[in-house]
Formats: sequence, structure tokens, C-alpha cells
Amino acid sequence: MRVRRRFGVWTQRQNRPNSAAMSLPFPTASDRATVRASSVTLSRGGRTLVRDLNFEAGPGDALVITGPNGAGKTTLLRAIAGFIHPDGGDIHIEPAVTGRIAFLGHADGLKPGEAVRDALSFWSLLQGVDSAVVEPVMRRMAVAHLENRACGTLSAGQRRRTAIARLALSNASIWILDEPTAPLDAKSRARLADLIADFRASGGLVIATTHAALDWPDQTQLDLTEAATAARVSA
Amino acid sequence: MSAMALFAREVRLAWAGGGGPAGPAAFNLAALALAPLAIGPDAETLAAAGPGIITFAALLATLQPAERIFGEDVADGTLELYALSGVGLAIASLMKALAFTLAVFWPLPALAFLGGLAYGLEPVSALVLSAGLLLAAPGLALVAAFAGALAAGLKRAGLLIALIAAPLQVPLLVFAAGAGRAAMDGTPTVLPNLMMAAAFTLAALVLAPLGAAAALRARLE
Repeated sequence: MRVRRRFGVWTQRQNRPNSAAMSLPFPTASDRATVRASSVTLSRGGRTLVRDLNFEAGPGDALVITGPNGAGKTTLLRAIAGFIHPDGGDIHIEPAVTGRIAFLGHADGLKPGEAVRDALSFWSLLQGVDSAVVEPVMRRMAVAHLENRACGTLSAGQRRRTAIARLALSNASIWILDEPTAPLDAKSRARLADLIADFRASGGLVIATTHAALDWPDQTQLDLTEAATAARVSA
Repeated sequence: MSAMALFAREVRLAWAGGGGPAGPAAFNLAALALAPLAIGPDAETLAAAGPGIITFAALLATLQPAERIFGEDVADGTLELYALSGVGLAIASLMKALAFTLAVFWPLPALAFLGGLAYGLEPVSALVLSAGLLLAAPGLALVAAFAGALAAGLKRAGLLIALIAAPLQVPLLVFAAGAGRAAMDGTPTVLPNLMMAAAFTLAALVLAPLGAAAALRARLE
């Protein structure tokens, strides 16, 4: 979309959601990854949370994990990320290459004293992503106007948008998201959905937990309620 | 490249966060100023005790901010991101400890020189003591970082850090102070003491990041 600015110069609308899609560091064909869980059992504090779980998710998929508080959603995410070893079964990521996973946990991974642009520039540099991509990603997640603000002064939603911008600069082929929309308003949720759609279209794999309806197209739901687990085990 | 980016960021954060070098420097100065009040005004006694007190004060100053090295990363979720970044937790720990040394502990050798003069050491002896601390400071910081990683995210981590780190820092304390004392006494063990301080720092450079990474990996579970 082109819009006329005040001084009559034709220019690209800066906050147009798809304007940066082509330049983002999304997976190429050789980067695409698959996650395969076989008979996974997970427990925390002596309580079994997940029993005999099997699933496979590949390039372009969105696996949405649901269930009540304490059902093991975060534990399962952390196991997929490799932080926790399953009590039984195994989780395979193919091909196994370090730096392939981008993680968004309950904490946003931001430093209170660091400016938004400095934080995002650092993560792009760490992942070997061209720093020129930082600007379009900031615009896309509507944090460009906050670029010089210290992360500690941002609202919860602004911090979450900055953390999501970090995901888009991660050069990863798997995004693991724990309650990504929790502090986001409707507009920001739409921005996230749009970003994830582009990521999946490039062959990226998204695995997310949620209590809210995400409504991402063609998402696969993994229900961790006790009844669903019992049905899975008896099947 | 990635490791250098991490180092540069950690220098920036350590310099700006938690008062930067001011806290440990003030702690060091307070210890240097208070010790003579307990020892007494005798100039010879003060000069004899000087290298030991000055090095010990620097050791305590490295423990004071150790809780910050990894505690904040655990709390704000950065630890998970570093673990998945491809840099590896051992390299990340090494970069963080070195960045902390550069940004936060840089005044310690300078304070050792000034402290040496104040305690009545000859300028050359004070300079040797300062050089000993310059060689020992990265080692002290690496050991403090290892203890900080073991205690990261725990309540009253400071106490645990002191209990873990202090015994491991003893060789650095002995050889850095020993260099200053040898220079003061005119014995020919200045260079061996300095080299031993450097050797223990090099050993910490190899071992402490591996230990810190193992501790942080366990913390992530």
C-alpha cells in the first residue's frame, strides 16, 4: 500500500505489517526442522504431568498446547527446548543444530537498563543477522517509537512486543512460545499472528502454550487435560 | 564474533548496572580504611600487614557483587536465551566473567597501589602488589562467577557464594600478597609469586567457565 505524505512524497507506509516480510531472517529450505516426541513422560516435584505423549511437528506447522494451570504445558515446552530431560521417551529435533531454537518464556529476557534498539541489535549480532533488519522488525512489532527507551520503563505489553521482535531476529527455525499473547492487546495479537503466519510460510515451526484462543490458521491443538491424556494413553 | 558481541554487551551492562565499579571499589576502600583502626597506628606493623590486608580487601570486594553476575540472568530469562543461542553456556560464562572483571573490578589494582602507599610500602613494592592483583583479579572474578552460577536464583545467595568462592580464591590471595611482601622484604620471590598468581588465573580461565556452565545447566532444569 502506498500513501501520500504531508509533503506530497509517495512513500511506503511505515507501519504496514507485511512491509518487512521479505527481509526477515526466516528459515530457508535447508534450515527447516522437525520435532518428534516419542512416548514422552514428564514429571515435576514427584508428580507425573505428561504421560506417553507422541507428536510430530514439521516445517510450517503450529502446535498449540492447551490445558489448565499445572497440566505441564511449560514443562513440555522446556523439554522440547532441551532444558529438561524427559523421565521416559525422547524428543528429537532434526536436523540437530545448535542455535536453531528461539525461546520466549514467561520472562521476556530483557535487561531493565538496556534500550530497546540496543537489545535487539545485540541479539541480531549474536545470531549473525544483518543489523539492517532490526529497523523493519521494530516497525513490524510497533516498538520503533520506543527504540531509545530502557526496557525497564516499558509496559508489560511493550516488553512482550520487544521480546517477539527478538524472535524475529533469531535466525531460528523453531519458535517455542510460552503464553506469547498474555499481556498483548488485540492489535498486538494480530501483529503476532501476522508475523507467525509469515514465519510458517517460510517453513518455520511454532510450538506455543496458551490459555487464550490464538486462532492461527491450520494450527494443531495438543490438549494436556487429564481426560485427554487418559484417552491418549488408552488408545 | 558472537562471543565478542556477548562480551561487549556484558561490559556495557556490568558498567551501567548495580552501580558498576562503585560498589566493589567503595567496599574495598572501606576495608582499607577500617583495618588500621583495629591494628593500631604503628607504621612498621601497618606496612608489614599491608600486602595481606590490601589483597584480602580486594578479595572481599570481588565477592560483594558476585550474586549479580548470573542472578539477574536467571530472573529475567536471559539465561535460557544464552543457553539456546549457539554460543554455549561455557563461553557465555567466560565472557560474562571477563566482562565483569573489566567493567567492575578494574579499580582494584589501582586501589592496591594507592593502599600500598598509604600503608607505608615503598612505591616499587606497592607497584608489585598492584601487578600481583592485576594478575589475580581475573582469577578472583572467575571463581566468584563460578560460585555465583552455583547459587544463582537462590535466596541468601551471597552467603553461599562467600562460602564456596573464598576457599577457592586462597591461592590467588596468597601469591598476589606474597609478591608484594617479597618486594617489600627484598627477597627474590617476586617473579615466582607473580607467575603463580598468573598461573592460577589461567587455571580459573579454563576450569571456572566449565563449572559455571554445568551449574547453570542444572539451574535450567
